[in-house]
Amino acid sequence: MADTAVRTLAVAAPRAHGSAGRRARTVLLHVVVIAGALAMLVPFVWTVVVSITPGATLTSTPELIPSDASLGAYGRLFAERPFGQVVLNSLMLAVATTLAQLVTSSTAAYAFSRLPFRGSGVVFGVYLATMMIPLQVLIVPLFVELKSFGLIDTYLGALLPSIASAFGIFLLRQAINQVPRELDEAATLDGAGHLRIFASVILPNIGPAIATLTVFAFMNSWNSFLWPLIVLRSPELQTLPIALAGLQGQYTSDWDVIMAGSVVSILPMLALYIFAQRYVIQGVASSGIK
Amino acid sequence: MNRTLAVGAGIGAVVALALTGCAASGTPADDPDEKVTITYSNFISNGGNEDNLATIVDAFEKENPTITVDVKTLPYDSYGTALDTDLAAGTAADVFDINGPSAYGQYQANGVLAPLDGVDASLYSPSLLSSYATDGTQYALPTSFSDVVLFYNKALFDKAGLDYPTADWTWTDETAAAEKLTDQAAGVWGDHQPVTYNEFYKVLVQNGASFLSPDGKSVAFNTPAGLEAANWLVQKSGTTMPTIEDGQGTADFDTNLFKDGKLAMLHTGIWMFGAFADDADDWDIAVEPGNTQHANAVFSNAIGVSATSKHPEAAQKWAEFMSSSDTMVDVRLDSGWELPPIADSAKLATYLDKGKPENRQAVFDAAKEIAPAPSIGDNQSEMQDDITNELIEAQAGRETVQQALDNAEKKINALLQG
Amino acid sequence: MTVVGIRPRPPAGRRLRYALVVLAFLLPSAVPLALFVLAPMVGAAWISLTRWNLLAPARFIGLDNYVALLTDPTTGDVFLHTLSYVAGYLPIVYVVGLALALALNTALKGRGLLRGIYFLPVVTSWIAVAIVWRWLLSPKSGVVNSVLGFFGIDGPGWWTDPHWAMPSIILASAWKDVGFVMVILLAGLQAIPTDLHDAARVDGAGWWRRLFSVTLPLLSPSTFFVIVISLINGFQVFDQVYAMTGGGPNGASEVVVQQIYDLTFRYGRAGEASALSWLLFVVVLAVTLIQVRGQRRWVVYG
Repeated sequence: MADTAVRTLAVAAPRAHGSAGRRARTVLLHVVVIAGALAMLVPFVWTVVVSITPGATLTSTPELIPSDASLGAYGRLFAERPFGQVVLNSLMLAVATTLAQLVTSSTAAYAFSRLPFRGSGVVFGVYLATMMIPLQVLIVPLFVELKSFGLIDTYLGALLPSIASAFGIFLLRQAINQVPRELDEAATLDGAGHLRIFASVILPNIGPAIATLTVFAFMNSWNSFLWPLIVLRSPELQTLPIALAGLQGQYTSDWDVIMAGSVVSILPMLALYIFAQRYVIQGVASSGIK
Repeated sequence: MNRTLAVGAGIGAVVALALTGCAASGTPADDPDEKVTITYSNFISNGGNEDNLATIVDAFEKENPTITVDVKTLPYDSYGTALDTDLAAGTAADVFDINGPSAYGQYQANGVLAPLDGVDASLYSPSLLSSYATDGTQYALPTSFSDVVLFYNKALFDKAGLDYPTADWTWTDETAAAEKLTDQAAGVWGDHQPVTYNEFYKVLVQNGASFLSPDGKSVAFNTPAGLEAANWLVQKSGTTMPTIEDGQGTADFDTNLFKDGKLAMLHTGIWMFGAFADDADDWDIAVEPGNTQHANAVFSNAIGVSATSKHPEAAQKWAEFMSSSDTMVDVRLDSGWELPPIADSAKLATYLDKGKPENRQAVFDAAKEIAPAPSIGDNQSEMQDDITNELIEAQAGRETVQQALDNAEKKINALLQG
Repeated sequence: MTVVGIRPRPPAGRRLRYALVVLAFLLPSAVPLALFVLAPMVGAAWISLTRWNLLAPARFIGLDNYVALLTDPTTGDVFLHTLSYVAGYLPIVYVVGLALALALNTALKGRGLLRGIYFLPVVTSWIAVAIVWRWLLSPKSGVVNSVLGFFGIDGPGWWTDPHWAMPSIILASAWKDVGFVMVILLAGLQAIPTDLHDAARVDGAGWWRRLFSVTLPLLSPSTFFVIVISLINGFQVFDQVYAMTGGGPNGASEVVVQQIYDLTFRYGRAGEASALSWLLFVVVLAVTLIQVRGQRRWVVYG
């Protein structure tokens, strides 16, 4: 009892003493973080400004509020191409990639974290190694391979090479490593097998990592350019980044339309992030680790 | 897991084997009544001419009811990457675009183009057609051409009290006018000419020099005349032309400056007519000044049939239609989509009355005196990069023009001999 | 992980069952990785032993490509540029990302919005953003130099100056990626039980002490992840270089992957490009292995 009282006193004293200083620090922190955020926003402000400036140029400083502001570029973006189809294609591919990566990453991560076997470290090393060679050099052999599978110009051909990602496996492995083993052991005593431990103990406890992977898997698919460009042929299969690249002509480019395309392509990602962020916080709150 | 690895290695080996054996050959003759679909991979319609291409395709399909053309349009920047991957894997479209004579040289030398027999040569401009023939055999057909001329802003010339450029101008006249037109305080520049390979080989000829030696085995630009030509390009920067720090060399920088009425003279291609149509200031064009002689850069695109096409006859029919049909001529002239590569000057005459600029005759005059583009095969892109990089070093003042030529000579001779 | 060693060997039936469970968890990822990454890697290894321009049939030339690369001074240059990128990029994104994660893990007003803003660059694509950065860093008319000029600083030539081309790329890359580091570290921070912090506070530990003795050790798995991933990705930097400087001026910012791309698709030397990829692979693998070996000393798992 006495011990606790001493501690309480020791804690209470500096708190009272430092409350003004702490207040100042909090204000300073707000100022710095908000100023940083504003600086981060500059490139976007410029992107948006260019997108609403008809005939915008990239070389002269744009007016912050263009005198002839217009949403015409957005209109042209949606009118000039089968834009709805393009967005739908990108969405489908991104959703499929994300779902596939969630499955392949979580199962592999569980194996590497919770199922010890001989050579586990080496196999994990091989997994990581798949991230270490640049895509640019794999394009040609991969293309030849998919041709032999008959998958050129199909969604499957665009999707398959990215259904497993060492990045996702590594991310989830780190998260599972942080889940206390006592939880597994308790479930094992209750007679749970690995599938049940995986599904009802591990997964609910790595909510933040799952949400993070969801955002990154979706984003990588949504923004991927080189592979879909090479493997998808038909105009009706086109994805958003390729359609946007098509707006840059050989000699001249309509920068307002290009930047409008950039703004439009950011929106779904932003929505997903906001959604996932809420989930991250909920995931932690309900995880029961604390 | 070892099994998975072994499977992976096995498939890798198959991939490796497949890579070597993809050049298929032997193509059966088409049955004339059978419906065939041919694929056409292009970049020329990208960025605004998709509908114009569709009009030409529709006309072709109407004329040839048994043939369907499946069009795939790629962004200009990534077209080469996609085409090379296709050629490597043996999945190239039946008909595909070729980005000019030097790319043609590369593809032809590597045997990926089918010979085109029985083409009516009289329909085409002879100089353009011959750029796509090797040893007397036609392997591709030109689809369009364009050239580079001197654009000038009339209002700025009027304000400075100067006469407009004419075909009789030399570099000296251009420099004199450019100096008078430049008003850096007002942000107005007299002249703009890109510091690139594509300009360099041309100004060499304008000064009586040449890029390659007659046997093509070494470079010939490191001479007093070559140095003078390089100086002509490089030394505008900072005096009559904006510097790299000002933004020169960034996409669309020069054309925007011209649009804004801040640039008096601009060396660029006739593909800019459309973009300048609505300019506030009146403008016109002239044939580029030469120094000892006129010489102009003419760019053309071409269309070729894949050596592995299963429908070579239908494919060639489309290639010919796309390069010489009346529909193509009309569509291109009406929309200002570069110029059709045809011989019939009467058909081209309507081009002269299509509005701004007034002096459209300069477009045809320029095409009469061509500076031939050097073509060296597989190392073409590397050579072009080397020249542009060295010239920009000189432009930025990090080395002298002479040093730039010395370095470029050394690098490119190594490429030519390797 | 040492459990297996301590226990007596389980009977064969149980061992087989266990092996099947392991396989069942691994196959969904192992099959696609083997098919779509390892197999093309083997293909690339084979290509690296040939002279090939993608168009004509490939010709086997043994190790000539590797010899050519090792004697070509350009190889050293592109590796050096890539290293300088990694050396500049990694500390910036880590320190700034960590600071942001710590700041935005506190009860800051509007922190959801702020997190969103810092994360925004991550979801953009370099295709458009690189052009914006080229403009922001434009030596004469760009915003960055205008701001520097306001404070009386004469801004550098950024991407027009060989010495500043790589810093320009690092700056833009840091802008784009700090949000990534922040998000990973935030997720790690939120997994740290608050009672540990409270206990430390009760013991009278100050902010810095708590950072170094509680937060950073418990954050080490996330830190390890961020560093390994950033190194692997950093060595493969390409998109932003391609779009911002094109490797210029005169090759001053040319990086390994750009050289690989140019060799394959522009210079008709796919064999050499594959060989260069394998050299890069060996370097990245070595760096990662050092990381993995080193992690035992500082990474603490729960």
